[in-house]
Amino acid sequence: MSTSGVSEWITDQREQRTLHDWIQDLGPFVMLFGLILTFSFTTDRFLTEANLLDNVAKNAVTLLLVALAGTFPILQQSIDLSVESIVLLTGVVTVVLISQFGLGLLAIPIAIGAGMLAGLFNGIIFTKLKVPSFLVTLGTLSVMAGVGKIITGGSTITFRNPAIRTISNGEVLGIPNLVLWGLLIYVGTIVLAFRTKFGRYCFALGENERVVELAGAKVDRYKIYPFVLSGLLCGTAGVLLTLRISSASPNIGSGLLLPSIAAIVMGGTALTGGVGGPHRTILGVLVIAVLNNGMNLLGIDSFVQEIILGLVVVGAVALSIDREKIDVVK
Amino acid sequence: MASQTHTNATDAGQPDPTDGGDHSFRVEGISKSFRHVQALKDVSLAVDHGEVIGLVGENGAGKSTLLNILTGVLQADEGQLFVDGEAVTFTNPREAANYGVSLVHQEQDIIKTMRGYENLYLGRELERLGVLEKEKMRKEAQAFVDDLGINIDVDERVRNYSFNERQMLEIAKAFHVSQKSENPVILLDEPTAALEESGRQILFDLVNDLRDRATFVFVSHELDEVLQISDRIYVLKDGERVADMATADATTETLQKAMVGRETADEYYRVPDQQRDTELGETALTVDGAVHGDTVGPISLSVREGEIFGIVGVEGSGKQQLGRLLAGDLAITEGSVSVGDTTLQSPTVSDMVDAGVGYIPKDRKSEGLLLYQSVLVNTSLAMVRDMNGNVPLLDLDAERQATVDAIEELSIKTPGPDALVHGLSGGNQQKVVIARWLAQETPILVMDNVTRGIDVGAKEEVYRLCRELTDQGVSIVFIGDELPEVIGMSNRIAVMANGEFVGEPIDASPGNKPTEQDLIQEMI
Repeated sequence: MSTSGVSEWITDQREQRTLHDWIQDLGPFVMLFGLILTFSFTTDRFLTEANLLDNVAKNAVTLLLVALAGTFPILQQSIDLSVESIVLLTGVVTVVLISQFGLGLLAIPIAIGAGMLAGLFNGIIFTKLKVPSFLVTLGTLSVMAGVGKIITGGSTITFRNPAIRTISNGEVLGIPNLVLWGLLIYVGTIVLAFRTKFGRYCFALGENERVVELAGAKVDRYKIYPFVLSGLLCGTAGVLLTLRISSASPNIGSGLLLPSIAAIVMGGTALTGGVGGPHRTILGVLVIAVLNNGMNLLGIDSFVQEIILGLVVVGAVALSIDREKIDVVK
Repeated sequence: MASQTHTNATDAGQPDPTDGGDHSFRVEGISKSFRHVQALKDVSLAVDHGEVIGLVGENGAGKSTLLNILTGVLQADEGQLFVDGEAVTFTNPREAANYGVSLVHQEQDIIKTMRGYENLYLGRELERLGVLEKEKMRKEAQAFVDDLGINIDVDERVRNYSFNERQMLEIAKAFHVSQKSENPVILLDEPTAALEESGRQILFDLVNDLRDRATFVFVSHELDEVLQISDRIYVLKDGERVADMATADATTETLQKAMVGRETADEYYRVPDQQRDTELGETALTVDGAVHGDTVGPISLSVREGEIFGIVGVEGSGKQQLGRLLAGDLAITEGSVSVGDTTLQSPTVSDMVDAGVGYIPKDRKSEGLLLYQSVLVNTSLAMVRDMNGNVPLLDLDAERQATVDAIEELSIKTPGPDALVHGLSGGNQQKVVIARWLAQETPILVMDNVTRGIDVGAKEEVYRLCRELTDQGVSIVFIGDELPEVIGMSNRIAVMANGEFVGEPIDASPGNKPTEQDLIQEMI
């Protein structure tokens, strides 16, 4: 083939960019701006610094961490449904360690470690016993929620330790620490995804495990890591969340699963694995955070909010899912 | 690039595709391109009632594309199909079937968990008021296959059928689908590829018995089979019809010449560049009595630096498994493999790659490539394993450099390192798989049918590359289904049967190459 053949082909490739590609790429931006515009005009409070920082940004951080956690298993074509239970479990553990064991700062690494252990458990059952991750984590979603709720004894538990609380509640140069943690971890996951062997294998495994195996990678190991990472990020989310409100109720974390998966998919990470990445997950998170905040400001009934959120999720997924790679949708 | 040697052996008495006479099935001037690759160029052929036509050509000659056009799976860019003199256009296989044209696939196209009659009626079930008429279908199906002289029990689940019975069911299905037509045209795409000898005979008998009830187009790599069964043979090469001859006038040699049509085998496989025995280095790979369960071994072999060690054998001889075993993908249950001085007892793929063995699988789409990832990601997939030692970060510059180098060195036609592999042609895709091992200077390559399904030009480049690699001291285990290729490329050739080598490896140094016949005798 001559050089003209090559340039011809490049044109070909360009022409192949379909409307769907554009929707997938620009959709979340358009949606975010649409929502921001709508709420700016329909409410007085939306576009205030207090609202944007204290409500939208702070609330978005928990969802962001959980969505980033879920991104890696999905990239490698599995899924972690137990995210919200890990948030619950680690949150409860944090409170108990501080209030009843007086561990202070040490509570934080232990709680996050517990999250990683939970993830490791998911990963090992999935990889070594070859149970689909969907089922493993659906099971542990229930198990860990149960364990967490037993520890709370069924009611909200609290602690008093203003010093530790500043980790989550303080601020630097007017920016809440919580938001800074979120950004730091966000950048960290991007580095993980695009600059490390682990990240590379996540994408590769999501596309074709056999190929990665025959290229000499220790596949089982790299299939477990994303779940451990998910445990780590959800654990961090659980810790930051409980430090922020210095308490843990039996249902903290609940309701995070659906919006987190929605954020991941809206961000362009396909449920079929191999494409996307954490860098765009933040877009989906912001869309959902703004939508939640705006609906609250408009005084929309919380049950109606649930309906709207569900519809937005299905709609966004339908628009952004990468159909080229899917032959049969199951 | 390609020399346009037309070996047109059309006899005066043979039907001319363009005369518009009483042909059962006629194709005129079919052309088809995929992007920049012209798969078919102005191909015409005609099939008479009751004729059995052979269609041969190398991999990538356009046979599959032609069959796909004939059955409406693909649409031709140019050209016209005629059935019984009527111009027709098929936009899907169902329309083709309505005109009596149907295909019996290479890969069997039946659902194993269903019963025979259910497969026969699949997609065209008989219903009354929305309820399946099972009893009626079962009876009619049995009568239908009995009438064809096919001896199968349609009430049995297909997974309990022998391979041969499944093939028979497929042929019955082809007749069944096209039963509205008075004269069905049945396209058989390499129907014998997976059959045992007895199965082939049964198939041939069936085709012979049915030849006055249907027209057959028989596509196969096995030239002697084509010569045995067909009345007339079309030869495709590089997407063009280069010969049309009566079987009586054809021999294996004339067909082969028409198929390859360019130069002598020695030039094609660059035999003069082959490493002489005296040029070979130390022993690079040793297999010592390696066994995998009941399927492979015990196998012992040794390959020297710069040597190409060929392995041939029929389907099921265990040659593919041996390749997997060398890759570390199949466990070695007894014996061992040594790379250089390192002996490995039960290596994993990872261990073998560490030791310096790279495996190129037969099926590049399912095992060789991440199709929706970039050329760069695919090329560096093996080298990222030990990039930067203990620092967890990838060396992005190094992998980009390695990819750019590989694109240059292997002349991979791609818009750039970041283009998706999905969009490359088969030959260029295969080069990416090879590039993966070259990028980390793997000294031993195990290639299973490395030129499978790539066009002739790309094949030549792969051959050239193999010669260059061995010149640098790389050892290659060359497993292949195409005997001429293995003979042309290898220094020594081992014949496999029933999981073991038959005798000692055969010398294949330049000037002393065995013939295909020599190998076939050992294979069966």
